[in-house]
Amino acid sequence: MATTATLTLASTDIAGDPVNVSKVATLTKAGSTNDLDQSTGLNRVHLRSTSNKVLLAANAEGDNLAAKVYIINKSDDASLYVTVTINAQTIGKLYGGDFLFIPWSQTDTDADIEVAATNWTSSTGDIPVEYALFHEDTDFLTNA
Amino acid sequence: MATTTAQLILTSTDLLSDSLSLSSIATLTTAGSSTGLTGTEGLGRKKTSSTTEYTLFDASAATDDKAHKIYLKNLSTTASEYFEIQVGGVVIGRIYAGDWAFFPWSADTTGTNCDIDITPSATNMTLEYMLFTDE
Repeated sequence: MATTATLTLASTDIAGDPVNVSKVATLTKAGSTNDLDQSTGLNRVHLRSTSNKVLLAANAEGDNLAAKVYIINKSDDASLYVTVTINAQTIGKLYGGDFLFIPWSQTDTDADIEVAATNWTSSTGDIPVEYALFHEDTDFLTNA
Repeated sequence: MATTTAQLILTSTDLLSDSLSLSSIATLTTAGSSTGLTGTEGLGRKKTSSTTEYTLFDASAATDDKAHKIYLKNLSTTASEYFEIQVGGVVIGRIYAGDWAFFPWSADTTGTNCDIDITPSATNMTLEYMLFTDE
């Protein structure tokens, strides 16, 4: 039941020598070689709020189990960004087209992953965001 | 202007009843523009010698609130070994052997410094990393 995540970072001109980093990870349960076996599938929401919205609600049962999160800002507008926070700590901003792929420990029930369309206005239009969660625990809940 | 791309491919033939094949390509640009990022600290490796917390990237050394990107990979081949990643003192998650992570970094220094800290689960582990900067 293998799920693989491949990241390729490439540039011919950001440094004196080309950058070409390609890495494959097989998504496994915490501390084992057993494959992750659950997923929310790919979800899509349209953000139209400058305040934080819970994208994935933490579940204390997920504490330090293996979970992987993919989030992408699907806006075509490079200036529109989504601020991503975990446990109220800002991680970074996903500008139009940017994605992230991170582990998620859910150290407690406050470790929600939240997103905000921080510079959204009624004239900018919605910011489409897609996301997926790959995880191992048994009764995970998501809240989009 | 440099052109740097990050491509993610997620695949599985048996996780779901239909095959999963997802591909996303992002061109790494400066905040709010289509101008390519021009800064990088290059691909690096950090060998750890204890299970204490290390600061990998200091937020005060980077421009606040920009479009920096971070790549991390645990090079261990022992499945139980992991690095715990913290941003601004908040635990994000663990990358176990072979896992990697790629994410934006605000490098926020208002209030809590948004440092990137890592804590290895065992001695003598190696982390591969790369920072693309928006300066």
